[in-house]
Amino acid sequence: MATLQEPAAPASDRSYWGNVWHAVKSTAVGMGITFRYLWTKPFTTQYPDERLPVDGRYRGIHYLEQDLCIYCQACAKACPVDCIDMGAQRHGKELEWEFFSIDYQKCMFCELCVYPCPKDCIHMGEQYSLVTEDKSDFLLELTSWQGLTEEQKLRIAEAEAAKAAKKAAAAKAKAAKEAAEAAAEPAEPEEGKE
Amino acid sequence: MSAALPPAAAAPQGNGLTELLGGLLPDGLPFWALALTGAVVSFAIIFAFIAVLAMFATWLERKVAGHIQVRYGPMRTGAWHGWAQALADGVKLLIKEDLVLTSADKPLFKLAPMVVLSTALAAFVALPFGPNAIVADLDLGIYFIIAISSITTFGVIMAGWGSNNKWSLYGAMREAAQVASYEIPLGLSLMMPVMYFGSLSLNHAGAMQSGWYGMHWYVFSDAFWIAIPSFALFFTAALAETKRAPFDLPESESELVAGFHTEYSGIRFAFFFMEEYAAMYLMSAVGTALWFGAWNFPGLSLLEGTVLHAPLAVAAFVTKSLLLVFVMMWVRWTVPRIRIDQVMALGYKYLTPLCLLMILLAASWEWVKAIAFGA
Repeated sequence: MATLQEPAAPASDRSYWGNVWHAVKSTAVGMGITFRYLWTKPFTTQYPDERLPVDGRYRGIHYLEQDLCIYCQACAKACPVDCIDMGAQRHGKELEWEFFSIDYQKCMFCELCVYPCPKDCIHMGEQYSLVTEDKSDFLLELTSWQGLTEEQKLRIAEAEAAKAAKKAAAAKAKAAKEAAEAAAEPAEPEEGKE
Repeated sequence: MSAALPPAAAAPQGNGLTELLGGLLPDGLPFWALALTGAVVSFAIIFAFIAVLAMFATWLERKVAGHIQVRYGPMRTGAWHGWAQALADGVKLLIKEDLVLTSADKPLFKLAPMVVLSTALAAFVALPFGPNAIVADLDLGIYFIIAISSITTFGVIMAGWGSNNKWSLYGAMREAAQVASYEIPLGLSLMMPVMYFGSLSLNHAGAMQSGWYGMHWYVFSDAFWIAIPSFALFFTAALAETKRAPFDLPESESELVAGFHTEYSGIRFAFFFMEEYAAMYLMSAVGTALWFGAWNFPGLSLLEGTVLHAPLAVAAFVTKSLLLVFVMMWVRWTVPRIRIDQVMALGYKYLTPLCLLMILLAASWEWVKAIAFGA
């Protein structure tokens, strides 16, 4: 249980020598405390060089998992200040990214863009300081690549090859079918002729 | 005087600087030319010393303040722990606009910083940095320092009155009241070492403390039981005299903006600032010279006659004085500012009677020693 401390006796209750002793003692005790603190490690961090870790729920500058994104515009539609803009070309199932930008002059870090994402690919990050001398630096590009990656190109080529092969197979099957039909056909007229 | 002390005649006489100049300059030069050269060189050395000291002390003050409050203080200016912070501040103060209020009393306003700084500079004349490193070895060195440093008050009152500002005037009036009351205990507390050494010359006091291989300081002498409380009294009075916390009522930035230098900026403010640190160092140096063996430290006497003797003696004196400056900073960041009535009560009701009591004890002790061991 916390105990209440006896309040120090008011000055009038002390004798002359009591006052002298009190002044000397309290100064000595105080200086002892400050001397101890003088050698403790400072509590502060040197901000731009070292930063304190931020909480997991912190809403900092977004980061985008670009390979998961399906260009559905759900985040852009959810944004109350219309700061998200994106552009891409579709090549079948693959996306050729042009840009995915957030204007941090407008963004208020409300996290409303994160919830509607069907692929859970946009997140609030831990970065919090955007210090710049130029306003245009606030328009941040979140994509880590533009255009098509080699993998995507490979997949597109594979898909096209598969498609071509399928087409060829279909054409072949069709040709075979036609050939079979053509082979069967002459019999019929013969029968008809007869 | 006890037998362990060297006789007064053993104290180094004369001024090393004038002897050096006399040797360097051609013979047959009139005395006034020699004196003038000596004065100019002394001024340059003292001014350079005070400027460097003020820069180092502002940096140290901010570092001590920071670390006592469990933070770093300046860290970014310069590569190592913000060492160039004071340099940057100095350059900033130099290039700031020299503002003088239209409503100010212009001659007083402009004269005040000069009076304040020049008195601080003048007091350094009588400080013994080493056995022979003293500008003027005055017989009345202590008296001279006390007299000249009390003129600072005139400068402060001029600043407060000339600023035509209520805060400035409040600060100046508090300074006048405070310094006038603390002159008494300050002067009285210096009487204990003076009685022990039998001299008002700081150089002589330093020489008297060189016994016991450099450890015969006043605080370690037979009169240590007088020396320690008298140093506490001296140090308290010196804090009040230099307007340092807990006696910084003339400035008290929480109530009076900045007290007497509210309206000053740029280089004029820098003068007040330099004076504060110069006065801190001056009081610490007087304390060192009288209580803590001046330039003496163990083993110094073994180096007598070598080239190292004088530089090491000066280094020891400056180091000891800076340690006392550090204690002043330490006190500032420990003890809160006290009220003006408490300042007056401490000065008149406590320090002055206690100083008188200590003088009685010190005089009795000298008398007892004279009877017991023979004069």
